[in-house]
Amino acid sequence: MTAVLLRASSTSRRFGDVVAVDDVSMHVQAGEVVGLLGANGAGKTTLIRMLLGLLGTSAGTVEVLGGPPDRARRRRLGYVPQNLGLYRDLTLRENLAFVAGAYGAARPAVPAELRSYADVLIGDLPLGAQRQAAFTAALCHTPEVMLLDEPTSGVDALAASRLWDTIRDRSDAGVGILVTTHNMQEAEQCDRLLLMSDGVLVAEGSEHDIIGDTTAIAVHTDDWARTFAALNAAGQPVVLDGRAVRVAEGDPHRLGQILATEGIAARLQPVPATIEERMMVLARTTSGAA
Amino acid sequence: MRAMIVKEFRELVRDRRTLAMLIVMPLLLLIIFGYAANFYVTSVKAAVVGPQATQVASQLPPYFDVTTAEPDGSRADAESLLKDNKVDVAFVTGQRPVRALVDGSNLFAAQSIVGTLNKAGDSVQTEVLYNPDLKTSWVMVPAIIGLILTFIGTIITSIGLVREREAGTLEQLAVMPIKPSTVIIGKITPYFLVAALDMTVVTVLGILLFGVPFNGNVLAFALGAAVFLFVVLGLGVLISTLSKTAGQAIQTAFFFLLPQILLSGMIFPLDAMAVGVRWIGYLLPLTYFTMISQGIMLRGASIASLWLAYLILAVMAVVVFTGATLRFRRDLAPGSGHARGGQQPVETQAVTAAGPGGTP
Amino acid sequence: MTYGITSARVRLGDRTALDDVTLRLPAGSVTAVVGGDGAGKTTLLRALVRQVTLDAGTVNTPEKAKIGYLPASSGSWAALTVTQNVDFAGGIFGLAGESLAARRSELLAAAGLTAAGGRVASQLSGGMRRKLGFCMAMVHRPSLLVLDEPSTGVDPVSRIDLWRLISEAAAAGATVVMSTTYLDEAERAGQLLVLDRGRALLEGTYDDVRAGFRGTVTCGPSAVRPEWSWRRGRERREYWPAADQPDDSLVVDPDLEDLVVALSLSARNQEAAA
Repeated sequence: MTAVLLRASSTSRRFGDVVAVDDVSMHVQAGEVVGLLGANGAGKTTLIRMLLGLLGTSAGTVEVLGGPPDRARRRRLGYVPQNLGLYRDLTLRENLAFVAGAYGAARPAVPAELRSYADVLIGDLPLGAQRQAAFTAALCHTPEVMLLDEPTSGVDALAASRLWDTIRDRSDAGVGILVTTHNMQEAEQCDRLLLMSDGVLVAEGSEHDIIGDTTAIAVHTDDWARTFAALNAAGQPVVLDGRAVRVAEGDPHRLGQILATEGIAARLQPVPATIEERMMVLARTTSGAA
Repeated sequence: MRAMIVKEFRELVRDRRTLAMLIVMPLLLLIIFGYAANFYVTSVKAAVVGPQATQVASQLPPYFDVTTAEPDGSRADAESLLKDNKVDVAFVTGQRPVRALVDGSNLFAAQSIVGTLNKAGDSVQTEVLYNPDLKTSWVMVPAIIGLILTFIGTIITSIGLVREREAGTLEQLAVMPIKPSTVIIGKITPYFLVAALDMTVVTVLGILLFGVPFNGNVLAFALGAAVFLFVVLGLGVLISTLSKTAGQAIQTAFFFLLPQILLSGMIFPLDAMAVGVRWIGYLLPLTYFTMISQGIMLRGASIASLWLAYLILAVMAVVVFTGATLRFRRDLAPGSGHARGGQQPVETQAVTAAGPGGTP
Repeated sequence: MTYGITSARVRLGDRTALDDVTLRLPAGSVTAVVGGDGAGKTTLLRALVRQVTLDAGTVNTPEKAKIGYLPASSGSWAALTVTQNVDFAGGIFGLAGESLAARRSELLAAAGLTAAGGRVASQLSGGMRRKLGFCMAMVHRPSLLVLDEPSTGVDPVSRIDLWRLISEAAAAGATVVMSTTYLDEAERAGQLLVLDRGRALLEGTYDDVRAGFRGTVTCGPSAVRPEWSWRRGRERREYWPAADQPDDSLVVDPDLEDLVVALSLSARNQEAAA
């Protein structure tokens, strides 16, 4: 029976009339990496702040390591915000010294890959190294559960996979990790995904589960510019896709009609949607319903 | 706790400009106060006119440095010498008692002279011109007008321009088809207008609230103010090219502002300063504007007598503006040479940090 | 008219930011310049709009009045409203009166910003702000549109909107070049240029790049040669430049991420060997 390190049970949070988080239940177990996805305004940030104990709940409960997120429990938690939480005008070594001092922990060793950067100001390091440094700092007090905000945003593919090696190292050692991301490459690296939209947890599971049965339409044609113009003029959510054209959400029949009136020959093929397209469809339905 | 203190120290040591402020400023102030702060004037320039001019001149104590002795001169000549700020006191002989006309716009000198002359008793009758009651406000208000202009010009302009650089929008302007000079002029015009308005309000208020006179030519005053404004606005642009953040801009502007307050003759008279420090005062634009504003408002002086001050300000304006424009042009159009050495172009962090995401 | 940069070389301080990089921009297409932080994307685009001087190489662009630029850092003036921002940009490029108002409505409608017209830019979300910057860069219908990381840090839904706007511009005949860290976005562009530490790793259409790739990529729970492998999800992938993988390994059809990582590794390992 794997320990549940983070749990939200029917958690809600309102700000005046706005319901930022609506009856959300989720959990993160030891040894797993869970990705939290959602458009802006979906409620991700509010949920995270409740899990961190920075914000109270309006309804439901939040548990960190088996109890409410008080200071004692927060000491056993590691958090890396998007802007790193490091001091840009201090060196790597000095930053690690500060964090260690603040948590009363032993100063962590500078990891091998960062050794050449040990006495360089954080502000002068390349982004990949900065992110790795931030992660190292968050580990110095050996947390049992971690929250990472877009850990590899902006970093090149190779450095990102190296960073994920480090993250996975920790999860293999039993740490439970919650990652928020906008990035499909990052989402792929997680064991399980949670998709929030408009405060509600809409889907959960693998990438396949998240996309569900949302489909997009790929339009294969010789004259992409005219095809694009025609569909765009008709108000369809159409985008370029290499040399083809893709409609995020649409009725193949209707699309066929539009193209026929323009005299454009094309082959229409339903394809699985991307996660972003799923989010877009969700955003449309909620704003349509409102 | 210890970790926190150590960290703050380390950050402070790296912040050169703040360090400079914390260490250099107090030293500077000490030196200035030590050598400049002197309310006591040791000698004043004097003129003697009238029939017994040479006689009276030789009788005066060394405190009075007689630069002109005119036996053929009249009271009118004496007054014009004072108006043109050639002397601080003019003695008119040819009647009993001898009249001493004192320049009231030069406050400390005047106070000192009056005090000295009072000891001479009935043989001299003292008459203070331009500021008969020797009011401090009458002397300060013209100087403060200049100070306000300096403040707006340097601090506010530099912040306004630096904000553009901080926000990253300067780069965008650079790629648009605008000339660098257009950008500068466009940027300083609002500040020029606001400063001009401010100055008018302060002058009018000064006159109404404190009874400060305005004896001279309004146009001459406006011209002096305009030239001075160009100098200080140019300084603002220059400071903006030296600063990466608004905080740095304020610190640098402060470095320029503080000496001007202390050494322009506004608080401590220039004549009373040790020579070693006085020359700094002569390098500051505010010194010359104060000469112009005090001269015009209190003494009704003409442009002709103040020509040197106007000229110096004009030259300063040209020099500062040329320098500022050249530097600014480098920011907007790095046409020749490398992009500012070794600096990695601003990467994406600015966008991700700036855009608010998610619900509160 | 093919715009672009040929054999660019840029040194910043003691670092070589760009080394013999060529960027070809065919008209009416979208070219994606891909790479992580420090790859040289921003330097390349800034060199294209002549904000950075080349130490070697040539630049071929139209005049300033025909270029639209969206810098990585901002793109709009924080204290102005959406409408005021577009009007300012329009004014600089010579638009005024009725035609400016019409163009503005057109752009804001396409970007979904009409309702936010009176809102001050600093109060827009990151995605909306980038869309505003895009409108401003497009206001004068430029023939060359240069976008520096338009979608980095932007929420996924706004990203789709931005991509649609970009597609529209290309469909209307503009030459578009954009930089991105997102490989899935790069896959959707017509042309690619992948940079790694200032050097070109891959170039051409996605099909060209895929066809030109030498070697194989395998997938499994662990790797035979750690310095040639990387993590993907719960598994490790490995690159075999000489296609000499063990017989029992699982060969996969590499996607763009695989190609990029494989070639980056190759470059690093070659350097280490030298």
